Amino acid sequence: MSRAGSRIADLAALAVAGLVGLPFLLALAISLLSPDAYLAREPALWPPRFDNYARALEAAPFGRYLFNSLLVAGAVTVGSLATSILAAYACARLEFEGRDGAFLVIVATLLIPSHVTLIPNYLTMAALDLVDSYAALVLPSLGSGFVTFFLRQQFRNLPREYDEAALVDGASRLAILWRIVVPLSRPAIAAMAIFQFLSEWTSFLWPLIVTTSAEMRTLETGLAALYDVAIDDGIVSWPVVMAGAVLVMAPGLLVFALAERHLARGVAVGLAR
Amino acid sequence: MSSATALTAPRPATTARPARRLQLPLLPWLCLAPALGALGLFVYGPILWSLWLSLHRWDFLAAASPFVGLDNYAALLASADFRNSLERTVLFTLVAVPLRLGVALLLAQLLIETTPIRRWSRAVLFAPYVTSGVAVAVVWSWIFNSDVGLVNLVLRALGQPGLPWLTSTELALVSIVIVNLWKNLGYDVLVFTAGLAAVPREVHEAAALDGAGRLARLRWITLPLLMPTTFFLLCVMVIDSFQTFTLVAVMTGGGPAWSTDLLVHLLYRTSFVYFEIGRGSALAMLLFVFLLALTWLQFRTIGRRIHYGGDR
Repeated sequence: MSRAGSRIADLAALAVAGLVGLPFLLALAISLLSPDAYLAREPALWPPRFDNYARALEAAPFGRYLFNSLLVAGAVTVGSLATSILAAYACARLEFEGRDGAFLVIVATLLIPSHVTLIPNYLTMAALDLVDSYAALVLPSLGSGFVTFFLRQQFRNLPREYDEAALVDGASRLAILWRIVVPLSRPAIAAMAIFQFLSEWTSFLWPLIVTTSAEMRTLETGLAALYDVAIDDGIVSWPVVMAGAVLVMAPGLLVFALAERHLARGVAVGLAR
Repeated sequence: MSSATALTAPRPATTARPARRLQLPLLPWLCLAPALGALGLFVYGPILWSLWLSLHRWDFLAAASPFVGLDNYAALLASADFRNSLERTVLFTLVAVPLRLGVALLLAQLLIETTPIRRWSRAVLFAPYVTSGVAVAVVWSWIFNSDVGLVNLVLRALGQPGLPWLTSTELALVSIVIVNLWKNLGYDVLVFTAGLAAVPREVHEAAALDGAGRLARLRWITLPLLMPTTFFLLCVMVIDSFQTFTLVAVMTGGGPAWSTDLLVHLLYRTSFVYFEIGRGSALAMLLFVFLLALTWLQFRTIGRRIHYGGDR
């Protein structure tokens, strides 16, 4: 492409990025208006006011929501990686009867959309008296066909000579997993961790169904509840709602800005989902 | 352990021997147990249970749950709500998918070059995809608000009347299509740029030497070679469209007049607002079979993609 053409294309790319990024900037701008200024014909953008954030935090316990989201997404990430690493290791590097069958059973869950399991999983939680608990938020996501599948591919590609050398040295199979396979697969495991954390962080329908009290809400369901209240009141105080939206988006966007390269890869490997 | 020590210390040896023999087959299954247990309890069990529920009349209070055959399915298929929801979901898919494919392909062409600005633009495009769905739905609810929203502010500034973006049956679905496009753009473009990057440069150069213009090359080289990528994305998008929930739940609540009551939203309100478990389960099973077929197609193309990539 010619130099001028490249320059024009750069400008076009900038314009597209500006358009895509505009909703974020708007949300931030509105959240920083003073509540009165918002109603004025020509609201003053300067100086920025933080009243709306104070009001949003008054209207909804975002600190608690943040804690819940971190806890649930963290527990799901750690838990599902643990089950997946063990299963992937068995399927990739141990010889035993029934291995292919077991792998097939795990991977076949990739074909199953999560919405099919909503009702029964809710009934299970109700039967176990776990509705509105952290356990209910975490348990259904502890197994992952996708993560197991991905890590098995990764583990299979490691040279078998390492295992054999370690076995000769008297290492147990589990020691090989922990000392050799996991450290050598760190990038793949990190990518899966990001993928799992992100999908749990933004999960909405399951927490909406299985939690009932305000204390158990995550950022997603918490913001939705605040927005519903704002609508029902008739007077949607947009600056306050926007402040809430910014609070909910900020952690994810900050992490994304800092680790964009890794994140994009983490999501890119999640292409199948 | 030598046999001599085993003879002098029989007790540990007898426990160790069978354990040894058991250990090798046992370890793999111990490793598999947590994953198989979790998936069995929360994926496989639920599917069977869902099937059972869809064939029985059952509510939370009644003790008996009689077998009713396909009554739930019949009632579902005959209901106006389901027909409306299916129609709106198909319409949504027919509009959203080609739009997403077209815009993503166009932007991928623009963003494939790796100048610093375009790398940065790609990152910005990706931000909506990784952000909270509820938060962006809230922000877009303001943008499309008919009184104070940005779109109507701009329209009025241009001397046009504002439009009821989220409050008319014609426009609400359009608004959801737009937000859906915006939210997934980063992912769509990422997949297309990956596909474009795999098209060998030499093919383009050879065609250019033979006098093929940009459009001709796009038509006769890029598009055919992108077919596997496009088909993969098409499946992803259709599956996505049939599972859209968050945007609809927050922005319109399925309204106005259920014009945005997409299938998963109908599933949600049937099962968890009206607690019609049997009918909800029947809907879940229908959705399952349809998405299963689509996912199966999609997986076959992934297999092919990996093949083309020359991994093995």
